[in-house]
Amino acid sequence: MVFLQVEMSWNVLISPTQLSPKGLLLRKAIIVRLLEDIANRKASKDHGYYIAVNELKAISEGKVRELTGDVLFPVTFTCITQKPMKGEILVGSVDKILKHGVFLKSGPIESIFLSEKTMNDYKYIGGENPMFMNAHSKLEKDTAVRFKVMGFRWMEADRQFQLLATLAGDYLGPL
Amino acid sequence: MSGEEEENAAELKIGEEFLKAKCLMNCEVAIILEHKYEQIQHMSDGDPASQVSQVFEKSLQYVKRFSRYKNPDAVRQVRETLSRYGLAEFELCTLGNLCPDTSGEAFALVPSLHSGGRFQGDAGNDKIDKMLNDLSLIKKFE
Repeated sequence: MVFLQVEMSWNVLISPTQLSPKGLLLRKAIIVRLLEDIANRKASKDHGYYIAVNELKAISEGKVRELTGDVLFPVTFTCITQKPMKGEILVGSVDKILKHGVFLKSGPIESIFLSEKTMNDYKYIGGENPMFMNAHSKLEKDTAVRFKVMGFRWMEADRQFQLLATLAGDYLGPL
Repeated sequence: MSGEEEENAAELKIGEEFLKAKCLMNCEVAIILEHKYEQIQHMSDGDPASQVSQVFEKSLQYVKRFSRYKNPDAVRQVRETLSRYGLAEFELCTLGNLCPDTSGEAFALVPSLHSGGRFQGDAGNDKIDKMLNDLSLIKKFE
């Protein structure tokens, strides 16, 4: 999984009760709020998943919002992100086995569907511990799998991506 | 599944953000996230698990499980070694993550290596084999 380190700008809103004459406390409040904002945003269509704020570059001069008294601080920072790519080869692990395919997860991506149709000679075997098997290998819960991303789409309602995976190709399959 | 039709990692037709931004391998992200986790632990003097987002938590678990190199010196050497071969950032990270065993596997996983005449014919295969051999040496002496 290829991660990105991107420079971003963001406006952080600080309530007047948190404004402190001690510069460090204000700085801490801004950082805490930035981390919360990033965690709540989770992901976006353009940037992909927001994983962590890496380095705070600058906090610019705050602007007071007249109605509420909140202060808006423009902040620049680098962020570690992850955005799915069509054609990329990823490694993930099996989350759920269904008759018509397998759900995988990989890093921040929770919903990756591998259709039984793209799994060539793998056969579904039901039971308490369902699996897909071929002559030399099997996929069951938690198996690590190398797959190729066939396509993806952004789901605005859940703020996440859905991926479609395939095992058709050389050197793909359970590891 | 529409996605962005024009983007395709196999041909290195990737978004502008991938070309501008720095790409990171699993093992590099593992070092950064573990460090962040410790920082948050200090800042909140409590249970950091409740302070980090799910996306962070899942990514940390993932990179810990799927990083081939753990030692920070080895991680630095891997990037140094790979960056001597004229690879795009995206190719570099994919190879560093997937650790193919042979040049055939490397070409299958990163088809864009065929482009630009960088690794052509037997000499190209030898170059890739040398690169993979360098990587396995780093692993051996980690």
